Amino acid sequence: MEGPWVEKYRPRTLEDIVGQEHIISRLKRYVEQKSMPNLMFTGPAGVGKTTAALALAKEILGKNWKQNFLELNASDARGIDTVRTNIKNFCRLKPIGAPFRIIFLDEVDNMTRDAQHALRREMEMYTKTAAFILSCNYSSRIIEPLQSRCAIFRFLPLKGHQIKERLKYIAEEEKLDYEPTALDIIAYLSEGDLRKAINILQAAASLQEKITEDTIYEVVSRARPKDVRRMIKTALKGDFMDARNLLREIMILQGVSGEDMVDQIYQEVSRLAMEGSIEVETYIKFVDSIGEYDFRIREGANPRIQLEALLTTFLSK
Amino acid sequence: MMSWTEKYRPKTFNEMVGNKKAIKEIKKWIQAWKNGKPQHPLLLIGPPGTGKTTLAHIIGSHFSDKLELNASDKRSHDLLMNIIGEASTTKSLFNDNLKLIILDEVDGIHGNEDRGGVRAINKIIKESKHPIVLTANDPYSKKLQTIKPACKIITIRKAHPNSIVAFLKRICQKENIEADPKILRELAKRSHGDLRSAINDLEAMAKGEKKIGAELLEAGEKDVFPGLFDAIRAILKSKNIRHIKEAMQIDEDPQLLLEFTAENIPREYEKPHEIRKAYNHLSRADIFFGRATQTRDYIYWRYASEHIGVGVALSKDETYKKFTRYAGPGSFQFFGRTKTKRQIIDNLAEKISKKLHISKKVAITTFPYLKIILEDEKTAQEIRKYLELTNEEFKILKGKRKPSKIKKMEREDPPIKEKQTTLLQFK
Repeated sequence: MEGPWVEKYRPRTLEDIVGQEHIISRLKRYVEQKSMPNLMFTGPAGVGKTTAALALAKEILGKNWKQNFLELNASDARGIDTVRTNIKNFCRLKPIGAPFRIIFLDEVDNMTRDAQHALRREMEMYTKTAAFILSCNYSSRIIEPLQSRCAIFRFLPLKGHQIKERLKYIAEEEKLDYEPTALDIIAYLSEGDLRKAINILQAAASLQEKITEDTIYEVVSRARPKDVRRMIKTALKGDFMDARNLLREIMILQGVSGEDMVDQIYQEVSRLAMEGSIEVETYIKFVDSIGEYDFRIREGANPRIQLEALLTTFLSK
Repeated sequence: MMSWTEKYRPKTFNEMVGNKKAIKEIKKWIQAWKNGKPQHPLLLIGPPGTGKTTLAHIIGSHFSDKLELNASDKRSHDLLMNIIGEASTTKSLFNDNLKLIILDEVDGIHGNEDRGGVRAINKIIKESKHPIVLTANDPYSKKLQTIKPACKIITIRKAHPNSIVAFLKRICQKENIEADPKILRELAKRSHGDLRSAINDLEAMAKGEKKIGAELLEAGEKDVFPGLFDAIRAILKSKNIRHIKEAMQIDEDPQLLLEFTAENIPREYEKPHEIRKAYNHLSRADIFFGRATQTRDYIYWRYASEHIGVGVALSKDETYKKFTRYAGPGSFQFFGRTKTKRQIIDNLAEKISKKLHISKKVAITTFPYLKIILEDEKTAQEIRKYLELTNEEFKILKGKRKPSKIKKMEREDPPIKEKQTTLLQFK
């Protein structure tokens, strides 16, 4: 029974982690000393934050790591109170067969300021028994007092050659037949996100015996939601109601988050401009409003309303 | 073509809807003038669409002539004095040659254009030998402060819904339209005593029709959220701040009000720049909601409400004279319709997030790749076992199997390489 390659080839040790050398060497020191401060991992998706946390836990806690490790997501749909209850219940117990316990809390930047303050209190309460690893995409959205209680590690997007190396390793292990340039294309398209790169590789392997550049383009094209393009074109034609319906379908039914929507809208608008479907002058105006609404989504309460508003800026006069 | 509000404007006191007591007073006032006893000017105060201007004109028909100025005229001091000052002081020798001076919407005088307007009105009232009728909406207007003491004030009240229904029914009979009584009652209720708006709504809905049925009204809209649709109507139809704010005083979650307003903006507003402007206000409102949640300080809600109400209302160039069927948020209906499917997707995201150590949000972004990966039968079975997927979840993730033809068509849409020829024009 094997999981998707993203899991199958997740590095199990700190040694195996791709890139982030400066961070890994520090983490290894914690392992040597068998102690660690509270940590904060920040950086974009797919650069090794979770992998580093898992590997560190395994190495520092020893063979009983699983019982002493708690993985939680701060944006749990059941609410922040559930998250806090879980932390409390976990921390009340003494570490079993390990020097201390580790709580890995993902997406802390999605917590409200109030919840972050509460978290700070909890971190103080359990300093003797537990260490926290907080993970987030944007450290700017973390309150000062939380940041000051953690050693902060900034994970960088992976370099093209680092991604390519890892893909090559996987391809050899899986005995894939591939054109070397195909891996270059993946490395380029994945924009420093190794998870995405590996997903593209596995999807390509599912499609064809021999992986070529065209295979990669096909994967990326098919994985890209068609609806976003259709939605933008509908708005450009001036049909706001239909465009809005498409937006709702994508967000509500497919569950695409506001941030991902902005991302995809930006990509599609860029593509339309490259193809000449949008005039340059209009393009730069659109980019500006996308940026504006990207910002508003972070400030506002309802990303869908912000995106509906963004769509109105695409309506022709 | 004459609008119905003009066509069916009452010509006599008998045709007026309601306000029997006020009419009795007015008749006495006319009689006194006719008997050679000059009276204080009449000040008719009442909400829009209750018949003040109509009454003024009917009063005018009892005198030999009438002179009218309304809010859209420039009422500078000089202008007023030229037109009215002269007309009012030059009185003919005969009492039966009285001219009625009508000053419409005197509380609407404002700004530089009308500088001195109030002063002029006071002067006219003082010097006029002719009967004067003034009308105003707002009894508490500052502009009326000096005018009121010199006038006989008559309060004009909103018409009762039943009287409005009766009036609408008469119009339908004359226009040969068969109307469902339910729809007339609904129009009357919506108008909140504003007969003019009720007639406008009826005209928009029924002109040229033989029959109007209740299906024209959004089914049950009133029952679920009673005040909500009234608020939406006020926001989208009105530009009067007071009217909008009053209609918005309902006991509903403001974020729900935002959703309802959003839904109906493109149903009412037709011009892209109006929709854009209105939605920008909703966007701003949402930011204040965000601030309220972030800081737990709900004072910010009031700024959000102003954006939703006044902001959206002022986004239209002018009020659309049409009947719009308003709807509840499509997104809510969508939530309802897709509940089962969303539940499955949510469970699926949850499972994948646990197994792959990622958040649900990230899990969802991997769906499209997993979908392609699952096209390989052997891998599909392995992954299915690994993720412990149910039949349903597996099916959703895999998506519908497409015939190879469609696959080919999709292949014709490669990224980067694709060249588009259509050029959309923007001005």
